[in-house]
Amino acid sequence: MLTQKTIWHFTLVSFIIGFMLAVQFQTNNEPNVRDTRDIWEIRQDLKKEQELHEQLLTEIRKYEETIEKYEQQRAESKGTVLRQTLEELKKEAGLTEVVGEGVVLYIEQMYDESYVGPIHDTVSADLLRRLINELNMYGAEQMSIAGQRIVNTTVIRDINGVTKVDTYPLRSFPIEVKVIATNAEKLYNRLKASMIVDNFALENLLLTISEPQKRVVIPPYDGTVRVKQMEAVEDGRR
Amino acid sequence: MMWLPLLGLVIGILLGLLTDWRIPSEYSNYLSIAVLAAFDTLIGGIRAHLQNIYDEHVFVSGFFFNIILATSLAFLGVHLGVDLYLAAVFAFGVRLFQNIAVIRRILLTKWLESRQKNRL
Repeated sequence: MLTQKTIWHFTLVSFIIGFMLAVQFQTNNEPNVRDTRDIWEIRQDLKKEQELHEQLLTEIRKYEETIEKYEQQRAESKGTVLRQTLEELKKEAGLTEVVGEGVVLYIEQMYDESYVGPIHDTVSADLLRRLINELNMYGAEQMSIAGQRIVNTTVIRDINGVTKVDTYPLRSFPIEVKVIATNAEKLYNRLKASMIVDNFALENLLLTISEPQKRVVIPPYDGTVRVKQMEAVEDGRR
Repeated sequence: MMWLPLLGLVIGILLGLLTDWRIPSEYSNYLSIAVLAAFDTLIGGIRAHLQNIYDEHVFVSGFFFNIILATSLAFLGVHLGVDLYLAAVFAFGVRLFQNIAVIRRILLTKWLESRQKNRL
């Protein structure tokens, strides 16, 4: 028959059931408060809400005015002009990525199978400088050699037999030279007609010039530009 | 002693109402299925007791195991996008009715027997 233990088990289980039931009941029965306000109370409440609405609108207007004021101040300030100028200068100095129309040149080794003799595994700095000068002559605006942006202070020099663009050594062929010009077609034609390909061939290098491309991406200069010879004008001496 | 389980139920309900506990509505499915499983076990226990085949281990383990199984089935159903908890509802519902019917018959028989005895 019913033992003490059994009774307690039943009690425990029914307690848990009761508890779960109550929780479930409360969860499902969100108290739906009946609206017992009469028409005057509703009108009052409406009025209150309308006042609140109005107040909020005023606040929004105030903050919008403030924002507008700040924006105007910002637009008129010297800061904007300075920032614009800075951007332009940065672009000019080669500190930004440039995308534009241009051509891509590849420098590869060109040795005959029957060639016997020393093999140069780099491009001579003189030749590279000549190429850059030539490109500048033909209207190139931005260029990079093997992913290194060429800026005004870029040095191309021979260090222990290896040509370096800034500090980046040119060791592996093909070397990619990207050039952006306002008129890529013209640049391409002038390059084709120039002697530069022959100059490369003299050093057993093959210079291939791609057709003008619509989209050439030139990376920004990644070093720091050191200004040695220039000084800022003092305010008083202007 | 027979009123103790009933008292437990009442205390549980009161405690649940007084503590003002609410579970997020997305979990109310799980709780409802757990309640159903618990009910099934309770009714099953009463029936087993009346049939004199009651075993407390079966009862207690069945109580928790059924709840866990039912809720995990519902959980699986939610994640599979199939209303699997309906399977549990169906199974428990059918068993609940069957058990209640058995309890009713046993009680009816007992009552009739006792009436006949009284008449004799």
